[in-house]
Amino acid sequence: MALNFDLTEEQNLTRQAVRDFAEKEIAPVAQLLDEREEFSVELTRKMAEIGLLGCCVPEKYGGSNIGYTSYIIAVEELARVDGSQAATIAAANSLGIGPIYQFGNEKQREEWLPRLCSGDILAAFGLTEPEAGSDAGSSQTRAELRGDHWVINGSKIFITNSACSLTGVIIVQAITGRRGDGKLEVSCLLVPADAAGLTAREMKGKMMWRASNTGELFFDDCAVPEVNLLGKRGDGFHQMLSTLDRGRLSIAAMGLGGSQGAFELAVQYANSRVQFGRPISSFQVNAFKLADMALEIELARNLLYKACWLLENERPFTVEAAMAKLYCSEVMHRCVHHAVQLHGGYGLMKDYRVERMYRDQRLLEIGEGTSEVLRIIIARNIGIAGRAM
Amino acid sequence: MNLIVCVKEIPDPETPASAFAIDPEAKRAIPAKDTPPVISPFDEQAVEAALRMKDELGGKVTVLSMGAPSAEKVLKHTLSMGADEAFLLNDGAFDNPDSTSTAYALAQAIKKVGEYDIVFCGRQAGDFDAGQVGSGIAESLGIPSVTVVKKIDVSDGKARVERVLPDGYEVVEVSLPALVTVSSELGEPRYATLKGIMAAAKKTVPVWNTQEIGAESSKVGASGARTKIQKLFIPVRESKCEMLEGENEEEAASKLALKLREVKLI
Ligand SMILES: Cc1cc2nc3c(=O)[nH]c(=O)nc-3n(C[C@H](O)[C@H](O)[C@H](O)COP(=O)(O)OP(=O)(O)OC[C@H]3O[C@@H](n4cnc5c(N)ncnc54)[C@H](O)[C@@H]3O)c2cc1C
Repeated sequence: MALNFDLTEEQNLTRQAVRDFAEKEIAPVAQLLDEREEFSVELTRKMAEIGLLGCCVPEKYGGSNIGYTSYIIAVEELARVDGSQAATIAAANSLGIGPIYQFGNEKQREEWLPRLCSGDILAAFGLTEPEAGSDAGSSQTRAELRGDHWVINGSKIFITNSACSLTGVIIVQAITGRRGDGKLEVSCLLVPADAAGLTAREMKGKMMWRASNTGELFFDDCAVPEVNLLGKRGDGFHQMLSTLDRGRLSIAAMGLGGSQGAFELAVQYANSRVQFGRPISSFQVNAFKLADMALEIELARNLLYKACWLLENERPFTVEAAMAKLYCSEVMHRCVHHAVQLHGGYGLMKDYRVERMYRDQRLLEIGEGTSEVLRIIIARNIGIAGRAM
Repeated sequence: MNLIVCVKEIPDPETPASAFAIDPEAKRAIPAKDTPPVISPFDEQAVEAALRMKDELGGKVTVLSMGAPSAEKVLKHTLSMGADEAFLLNDGAFDNPDSTSTAYALAQAIKKVGEYDIVFCGRQAGDFDAGQVGSGIAESLGIPSVTVVKKIDVSDGKARVERVLPDGYEVVEVSLPALVTVSSELGEPRYATLKGIMAAAKKTVPVWNTQEIGAESSKVGASGARTKIQKLFIPVRESKCEMLEGENEEEAASKLALKLREVKLI
């Protein structure tokens, strides 16, 4: 009797509340923000007001503590309407607030979490570098302990929430020395956005997530107090892997929510568009597209929720998280493709929501582990000979 | 302040008429299976009015609904918005009520809650739009009521209430306890918050039946109804399009103006 697919009351209420919010507050402005390539402080603050920042953080730090599955449902509902706002929330929770709560000491938690949960400021996670994307291990940014300060030199690229007026702190992964076994020692440092020697530049000209903030960061003898070390010295690599495992679930949620949104638009449009005297949905070739979408969305949801269930029940979930991220983002690829096809020429026009979804989908197969990298992670865990790479 | 709000669960008012079937025998509208039940929009604003008052003056917000077991969801929504407690009136005897028997049952429940300073209702329910239950409750409780309200200020045991008129508003002073029916001019209701949801999920919504609210069974539901629905049907709407020609824009515009005057639209 253990198998049970019912969501809890909290999870259902979360879906209803976030959907209501997204329809009323995000849907009316999403197209304009996308067109202007504008990150909205106002909308971010509104999302914070209903508790979308600090979803998995206890109330004593200002979080809403709704649990991981509810958080994933919230991201899903945001992405059903707009990828950019979902990205802001997913990055802020999974990549910013998450590691500070998971690995921070009590003082760091108290210093940062309340302001992060209230939406006063945002936290970003700086891992990717110009020369280190999928190959995160080849990063070059270094931090050297001089007296009681870490002095950072290097750069980061494509960092979500890192270059806007709300950016308050950036978790920066840097090489802090060499370990006993000769390998590089990697640690994470909390770098306040106003630290001297840090320059943040907003990256413009994105094809997708145009209302989400993406920054490029330059560290030039940027000094932060020694106590800004996150967790233990040398734990950076492990912290990064753990953060990405969890973060992947929220990217998966964006794929699932986006698929759902595209599916609903496609059904609506195909039912109302008449050609040859019949709604185009009544042509079998089109109905089958919609049937395939419904099928894959069902599978994607089951896989993602199962991965969340594993996490919440403290079971290993790395492989399932990789599978969910890979599958949900590729399902959305197929769903937006079908949805645009069903819209015909109109689907290519910016006045139609599906056009934005088509573009927003593209990141999901690249960020937080490309589809190729995720296949490597899965392949390494299914008992095939050699180390798949 | 002890504040009580009465709310009703209705089929989503955004639902097009074509999604309803009519049972002409039972004289009931049957929504399509996937029509989500929601809180009646004016009632959500009544909850907002009570919560604003609680934010300002402190106190407790209690929400009541008479309806099907599914109305618990609507009540949980009000708890997620910040209401303190909620009760559901559910009993076979409450079925098929009219405004009179609904008002009677809710008034009995309000008496059971006990202390109250203000009772809030929506100006009308978003399904039948009758707008009579609020005043009916006030009548049953023997307290004053002000309808179609957009603002309420309380001081010295009195409420100063702004009541919406077609061309503005009037200010009414009313002694407490009193009942108000809230209109959309109050402003947008707040969203449920995720913290509110966590709190709401921990609360139970007790269910009250006829006996528990101390009501006479002859006065509730269909037995207590004083009105009868003679016929229930979806009206057929017809629209006609007439193109007005003109040599130039001015001529076309003046023809349009004359036509609009002819059909008494201006
Ligand atoms: C909008 C946006 C937001 C982002 N936000 C953040 C953030 O907040 N924080 C952060 O740290 N990073 C962030 N990133 C960076 C993102 O995680 C990287 O872009 C991603 O990891 C891929 O790295 P890359 O772009 O350097 O591509 P590369 O690693 O250069 O990959 C190029 C191609 O080569 C393939 N490839 C690489 N190695 C292999 C291999 N071994 N086998 C097979 N194929 C391979 C890849 O799959 C890909 O198709 C963001 C990126 C974008 C676009």
